[in-house]
Amino acid sequence: MKKTLMTVVMLVLVLTTVLTACSGNNGSNGNNGSNGNSATEGTNSTSTPSPTPTAENTEQPAEPFSVSLRHIQIGEAQKFRKAILDDVVAMTEAEVPGLTFELEGVEDSVNRFTKLPAEMAAGNPPKIFDLFGGEGDALKYGAAGRLLDLTPIIEELGLSDKFLNLDQFILDGKVYGLPIGGNTEGFYYNEELFASLGLTEPKTWDELEHAAQTLTDNGYTAFAMGSKGAWVPLMLVNTLIGRYAGPDSIAGLASGDATWNSPEVVAAFEKYGEWVEKGYFTKGELGFEYADMLNEFVTGKAGMMFDGSWRSSVFSDEAQAGALTNKVGFFTMPAVDGGIGDQTFVNGNYSNGYGFSSDLTEQELVAIKAFIKNLYSDEMQLRGLLEDGILPSIKLSSDAMNQVEDKIVKKVITIMSESGGAFSHFDSTVPSSVYKESEDLILKLIAGRETPQSVGDKMQAVQDKASEE
Amino acid sequence: MKQTLRNPWIYLIMVVPTLVLYCLFFIYPMVTSSFYAFTDWNGLSQYKFIGFDNFIAIFRDSDFIHAIGNNMLFIAFAVVVQVPLIIFFAILIANVRRLQRLYKTMVFIPSILSTSVIGILWGFVLHPNIGPVNKLLSLFGVDTIYWLADSAWALPAVLVVNAWQWMGFYIVLVLAAILALPKEMNEAAEIDGASGIQRAWYLTVPLIKPIISVVVMLSIAGAMRVVDIVLVMTQGGPVGATEVMASYLVNEAMGVNPNYGLGTSISLVIFAFALLLTAIYQGTFGRTKE
Repeated sequence: MKKTLMTVVMLVLVLTTVLTACSGNNGSNGNNGSNGNSATEGTNSTSTPSPTPTAENTEQPAEPFSVSLRHIQIGEAQKFRKAILDDVVAMTEAEVPGLTFELEGVEDSVNRFTKLPAEMAAGNPPKIFDLFGGEGDALKYGAAGRLLDLTPIIEELGLSDKFLNLDQFILDGKVYGLPIGGNTEGFYYNEELFASLGLTEPKTWDELEHAAQTLTDNGYTAFAMGSKGAWVPLMLVNTLIGRYAGPDSIAGLASGDATWNSPEVVAAFEKYGEWVEKGYFTKGELGFEYADMLNEFVTGKAGMMFDGSWRSSVFSDEAQAGALTNKVGFFTMPAVDGGIGDQTFVNGNYSNGYGFSSDLTEQELVAIKAFIKNLYSDEMQLRGLLEDGILPSIKLSSDAMNQVEDKIVKKVITIMSESGGAFSHFDSTVPSSVYKESEDLILKLIAGRETPQSVGDKMQAVQDKASEE
Repeated sequence: MKQTLRNPWIYLIMVVPTLVLYCLFFIYPMVTSSFYAFTDWNGLSQYKFIGFDNFIAIFRDSDFIHAIGNNMLFIAFAVVVQVPLIIFFAILIANVRRLQRLYKTMVFIPSILSTSVIGILWGFVLHPNIGPVNKLLSLFGVDTIYWLADSAWALPAVLVVNAWQWMGFYIVLVLAAILALPKEMNEAAEIDGASGIQRAWYLTVPLIKPIISVVVMLSIAGAMRVVDIVLVMTQGGPVGATEVMASYLVNEAMGVNPNYGLGTSISLVIFAFALLLTAIYQGTFGRTKE
């Protein structure tokens, strides 16, 4: 009897433990469900919303719901675009009854390379999130079914023909993300410092190298650089490849029409290595972050900085630029001697924007449509251009474009309009494994542990392997 | 009560829930996830079975071999530098007559700080331009040292910070053992004319040998799985100079080109290494006489 009782007690205990451990939060939300089917689940527990919110909805209090939104607009340098995002969020919340956005600000590379990949693997990304286009990001996640197909939505909203370039977000004719703006990468320079050293804005390669040498000789850093994140020096390498190996080489590296270990591409690595040896970059650059690079430039310790046009708003904001406010110029990389192809091409990207989870309830879908409508409006795009210096990702009227007063933004627009065309960044064209190798190798090149040729050879080996797969 | 405790089923009832939980949350996930070590799973695409390819790739990668070397340096630093210092400071604090609690608290504080805080704190302390360490050294004419950016200095810097973080915890552990020793022995040795150093070396240290053994073992295990301080301070850089096995795992499994299959195989290798080293230690130096 005793034994039986004990056995029963023990069984009850074990079962309780197992059942407690195995119980989930079924039905609480759709986050843990598989893609695509949670929309139906979600509607069971909430009132079915009208696809287009109207005043009628406001008569009855709507069922509250929240939509997670991951952005990368953190820190002082991003304050203008954060303000625009906040306004879009407020407008959307006012339009969609019951909606509350749960904003989460995450540092760019942490979101792109750590959080989002892990969430995509687990199948629980935020509903709206910052997303990069290209093979390693949007296209990969789109192919895996994690991203919402935006094609019907932008069609419904009349945006299909408005975007200037969606190439990096399109897979098999479906749009998986929307760029928030466009950009080019080039050199910012300290106008006062240049004038004090008798330098002018470099128009040729020789003038650029002369300016770098003069700055170095006078105890300044020629090019501020923060290489702790390898993508920062790779920006410069990318444009060097575009110059030495030609604008077609960037796409060619992925398609096989160009090779990493060709003399032209190796020449780009050689030039970077040469500048490292000449001491043109920040001393100890491998230990400095992207933000440190800006600090060095803004504090007048460096004469130039290679960065994206998205940084331009910093230099018209006294709180950030200090004594350097409105005293910074911008120029594109000059033509290189012996460079292949049209040397007026610029690095131009429409690669950063927003993506949306494919795992949505109907209410969330309504919220996302309203969010897209509000964010990709002429008004917000113009604000992005005027307040933040971000080139619009949708077509704006020439009247709107003429409102630009910021001299750097004006210069960027001129550079882009005068260019022969644009080549993208190779991080959006090559497979992730190749890009990862480029990050490892550029740091080794800077540290003197690889030669330009060995970098090219190793890159090509990984590219060949990726192509085989 | 006595009757109840004589029944072996009672013990089984007490143990079974814990065992079930242990199996459910530790053994089962470990065994099932081990399967992925033999696949090329990237978290998104359909995976395929690739045998031992991941393990071969790991040991062919010079960066991983370098990371193993760094883990060994962490162990060596812990055993050769940290442990003697821990004993030294513990004995010192044990013999302090005034403000002993204050010293105890002070040495323990780094252990309760979050690693992120320590990373930021030391990032400032070791900053090449504004950090107090370089400011101090510049007074003696020393050129700027790029502590966390120079391959030669980054690992020593991380080793020191890691030691700073954890020494306090072990000091308190050893201190408790010292304070538990009967005072009479020390007093008798003092009367017999033994100096402080002699008493520490011939009396205190042998008596606290079991706890020292535990501290060494914990240090070895800690050095094998060290990762947070590395990620916070250097992310394994510059150029892999501070890469350890676990940070290599993080960088390979997640990041630019996630490869969970490879990541799982690295975690199995780390597990095997830690098990092996701990077993070797327990079988040799860690063995205590009954």
